[in-house]
Amino acid sequence: MIQLNNVSKRYHSGPSDYVALRDVSFTVAKGEMVFVTGHSGAGKSTLLRLLTLIERPTRGQLLVHNKNLVRLSRWRVPHYRRELGVVFQDNKLLTDRSVYDNVALPLVASGVAQRDIPKRVRAALDMVGLLSKEKLHPIVLSGGEQQRVGIARALVNRPPLLLADEPTGNLDRQLSDTIFDLFHDFNRHGVTVLIATHDLRQVERLGKRVLTLKGGELVRDTGISE
Amino acid sequence: MNYLLRHAQVLLATLGQMARAPLATLLTLTVIGITLALPSGLYVMLDNLERVSAGWDRGAQASLFLKRNVTEAGAHKLAQQIRAMSSVTGVDYISREAAFAEFKKQSGFGAALNALDSNPLPAVLIVRLAVDNPAAAESLMTTLAHLPGVDLAQLDIEWLRRLAALLQLAERGVVMLAALLSLAVLLIIGNTIRLAVVNRRTEIEIIQLVGGTPGFVRRPFLYSGLLQGLLGGLLAWLLVEASLLLLSGPARELAGLYGSSFALTGLGAEQGLSLAMAGGLLGWLGARLAVGWQLRQIALH
Repeated sequence: MIQLNNVSKRYHSGPSDYVALRDVSFTVAKGEMVFVTGHSGAGKSTLLRLLTLIERPTRGQLLVHNKNLVRLSRWRVPHYRRELGVVFQDNKLLTDRSVYDNVALPLVASGVAQRDIPKRVRAALDMVGLLSKEKLHPIVLSGGEQQRVGIARALVNRPPLLLADEPTGNLDRQLSDTIFDLFHDFNRHGVTVLIATHDLRQVERLGKRVLTLKGGELVRDTGISE
Repeated sequence: MNYLLRHAQVLLATLGQMARAPLATLLTLTVIGITLALPSGLYVMLDNLERVSAGWDRGAQASLFLKRNVTEAGAHKLAQQIRAMSSVTGVDYISREAAFAEFKKQSGFGAALNALDSNPLPAVLIVRLAVDNPAAAESLMTTLAHLPGVDLAQLDIEWLRRLAALLQLAERGVVMLAALLSLAVLLIIGNTIRLAVVNRRTEIEIIQLVGGTPGFVRRPFLYSGLLQGLLGGLLAWLLVEASLLLLSGPARELAGLYGSSFALTGLGAEQGLSLAMAGGLLGWLGARLAVGWQLRQIALH
């Protein structure tokens, strides 16, 4: 599903370069749930940016769904992203649109037939327990509800791979449990999940495989998988 | 079908967005309308001026002064020969006696002229020309001047030449003005769209992250540019017609004073719609350039 071979990412920053990732290699199999942990600046977000093709690696090989992302042409990028579900720490919801419209966005952008959209949006909202709030705007929702809207949007295209970057960074313990339980639930239904987090309590609670990054290098891979 | 439906949805959504910001939309459309109305109005005025001058061209006359040895029968024969020419609408013969009598009457030297031994004036053929430009008139005059019996052929075509040169200059000026103002429309719409893209940067980034293609991202902005240009063009047509309506009364009155039934004409449906379509095309092009440039700044790949 995901394969990194000696992936490095270097940024040009003033007279000296900044290395965000250095020779990182690992594989995530289909149906796995993996946590990526590490302190701020360890390279977690950079890894997610490479996997979502916001940026490309400076060196190395990066394969997702057997596609070599390093060589993927620009016009194929949107099609690749439709096979991903991405959850962001700051939700990235459109505040001038309703919950329904936010969740429908990936379907509209993917050109899904108009008649199929309402059914799929409501199914995604139902999964995260927000069906009754489809007409509201995100601004009136709580932080946890907003994050669940973001998760519904990530899942509405039924992606085989779900990526999350610090999905509970702004939430309290109880809401964090709810969100991580949702991810666990999706994983049990066959979705491959990769979550970048510094919430070690959740990592321990769910007992999944953990990749630890430090200074851009992969220093530990528990290799635990179900 | 799904593709067309999506385009229709974007079109309606764009119209909705314009309607939700009526003041900003009205201001932009007014600026585009006035900008397009300026060269269009000048073009209409020039077109009307050309129609008037064409009428004057058709009224051009030439005077052929005949040699003294040409008899009256010979003059009539020559007149017949000239009437047969395709670029001549009529010929009047003024005999030497008639010319002398007219001169005596109009000059006020009646008594003095009576003292002359003989009539000094030649017989004249007044030829009415059916030509619509100075070059054709000049060519015809060369032919007439070489006819046997013609001593001198006279046509004051300088004023026709000057008018034609002025119209040509004005035409060139209108073309240059139209090009400059079209560029202005392109820039106005391009800048409006550029600001819209900047304002919707977050939305564009999210659309890119959920798999929206560049075409999908561009579409609403292109429709916005197209609609602004199209509606601005229609407004320009309206402004030109309204201006002509205001001018038509005084113009008719002026023409009446010269015994003419001339009336100002506007763009007409075909040219009016062409103006609107040209506005739409400029709007689309301005939007395409602006959104293309701006999206390269925020492309997430």
